[in-house]
Amino acid sequence: MNSTIELLAPRYDIAWYPWAVQYFFMIALSYATLWLAAPALVFGRQTWLPTARLALLACLTTTLVAPVALLADLHQPLRFWHFYVHANGHSWMSIGSLVLPLYVTGVIVLAWLAWRPALQARRQAPGMVGFTARWLSLGNTPTPRALLVLVGLGTLVLSTGIMLYTGAEVAIVKARPLWHTVWLPPMFVATGFIAASGLILVLDRVAGERSTAVSRQMLKVMFGACLVAGLVAGSWFLDGINVSAGSVAAAMKSVRGSAEWRGTALWGGLTGLLLFGAVLYLITRPASRRPTLYAWAWLLGLVALHVGWMFRWVVLMDVQTVARHSAGFHHYGIPAGSSGILGIVGTFGLWLTAALLIDLLLPWRQAHQGGSAAELSTAPSTPAHPAPKSAAETTEGAPSHG
Amino acid sequence: MDPIRRTLLGQLARLSAGAALIPLASAANAGINQQPPRREGDPTKRYGMLIDLRQCIGCQACTVSCHIENAAPLGSFRTTVSQYEVAHQETGDVATFMLPRLCNHCENPPCVPVCPVEATFQRQDGIVVVDSDRCVGCAYCVNACPYDARFINERTQTADKCTFCAHRLEAGLLPACVESCVGGARIIGDMRDPESQISRMIEEHRSELMVLQPEKNTLPQVFYLGMDERFITRPTAEPVALEVLDPHGQEMGYEFHH
Repeated sequence: MNSTIELLAPRYDIAWYPWAVQYFFMIALSYATLWLAAPALVFGRQTWLPTARLALLACLTTTLVAPVALLADLHQPLRFWHFYVHANGHSWMSIGSLVLPLYVTGVIVLAWLAWRPALQARRQAPGMVGFTARWLSLGNTPTPRALLVLVGLGTLVLSTGIMLYTGAEVAIVKARPLWHTVWLPPMFVATGFIAASGLILVLDRVAGERSTAVSRQMLKVMFGACLVAGLVAGSWFLDGINVSAGSVAAAMKSVRGSAEWRGTALWGGLTGLLLFGAVLYLITRPASRRPTLYAWAWLLGLVALHVGWMFRWVVLMDVQTVARHSAGFHHYGIPAGSSGILGIVGTFGLWLTAALLIDLLLPWRQAHQGGSAAELSTAPSTPAHPAPKSAAETTEGAPSHG
Repeated sequence: MDPIRRTLLGQLARLSAGAALIPLASAANAGINQQPPRREGDPTKRYGMLIDLRQCIGCQACTVSCHIENAAPLGSFRTTVSQYEVAHQETGDVATFMLPRLCNHCENPPCVPVCPVEATFQRQDGIVVVDSDRCVGCAYCVNACPYDARFINERTQTADKCTFCAHRLEAGLLPACVESCVGGARIIGDMRDPESQISRMIEEHRSELMVLQPEKNTLPQVFYLGMDERFITRPTAEPVALEVLDPHGQEMGYEFHH
């Protein structure tokens, strides 16, 4: 068969651009951080409150940015309203277009409810902070805990819809054998949790919280997510190893036929193992050594974010370069413009802007499971760091802390 | 690919080509990703194409005439003829194999149910078309087609594909590719009419006909006569050289940049 030479075949461009990677990455961070905020904010586990505060910041910011990247991946973004006037129940993407706005609304309302007591507490603050607080807190009535729990539960349910549709949307595509496996959706979720716990480790450091408890919780989540990801990858491999056609066969063929794919597989495997090993090492250290060691956990957070993002890049971009009915692989060079590098950098820039604006104007460090402004100051769960009270202090926590 | 699997796929290809002719009441996959109802077009007809590879000389007249008829942007093709240099499996003699490729207007088109706005749909005469006024350009259908039959038209920024030249068929004309085919290799017609040339040829060559990627269960309605089994799935071949370099490493070939 090696004697066959392709003499003439068109070059086929990729159809989904890096915007898709950005969307899948941001929305995975969004649903995973929502679940990390849930123990404290929905189920009332006070020990998780510092984690939940960072998670809610991460959740809201990624939730706001993700749909922008999604819209940008449409070649006709201004026709997005067609999704709602011509909805097609046969298409996972259409189902997603119905779930996504509900989910985004749920996250925004949840964040508002959780931050409202703190907003009410700073209504008298001078300048923009006070103005924002007065404008956003909508009166002085207490925020019912039950409402927060209800919205939280609803949003958690919707988030499973997001997990399901983002995974199924890709996994049903038979035309790309590498995608067409039931193990893809759980792998998206597992790597999503790896990246989300990584993001919180980084935020914990950058926001100046430097909490050993948060680090420990996130390292444990990361350990679990790594374990699940390993199991899913293993099951995918064992499930497909004896089948001549299918996702694993296609993967083996790609790895055999391309040095780039061999490099990618090696890189992915080694990074995953390194992350897993390092996390295991950190969580098994004795309590006395933890503060010193956990101060560096944010570095693992960066590795985890890399794993989550690269997995999506390989799955969504690299798989599109595997030819479907011609030989070999299509070349894909990332363009510099908005459908390439500018889009990738721009999405992260937008996320950073959202995070900084929230840090400047909103009391995310005092997120609480409802209640009133008065309760907030006496609440036993206030974190080790005193809550910032004035506009000048709220600007603390800028990345210069790191 | 090992020879046993290839032969198996070859048999499957033949079987599917036969089975597809019986109007299968769709592969009853209940739930999401099921085919939405067909609309528009003549329900008394079912268009299909038979490509007699024994007559194809790889002149690309179909590629060019389609390009002109349908004004596809440079570098994007609704139909094209891939060409391979192949060694005979037994004798080792080298020959050129032509593979004309276009939309298969499948009986179970994977591109249709994925469309989030039902902009792409199957007409009752089997032709799969795109409503470019409705298409949002999400490119899901482009990824869902195993045959590379779809692309995003850079001018309209919507999905584009072969329509069997439905506008010409409705005017009583043949599709541009069929009209221009030098060897008469492309035969289009109504497969519900037992007297049509395509129906008669299908009847005559039923056991030899093959379709592309039968294992995907898309039930393609473009049938190949004189097909080499090695090409019904992604061919194992040395890929095409898109950049032809001279001995000094300078590019000699010309490629459209888009």
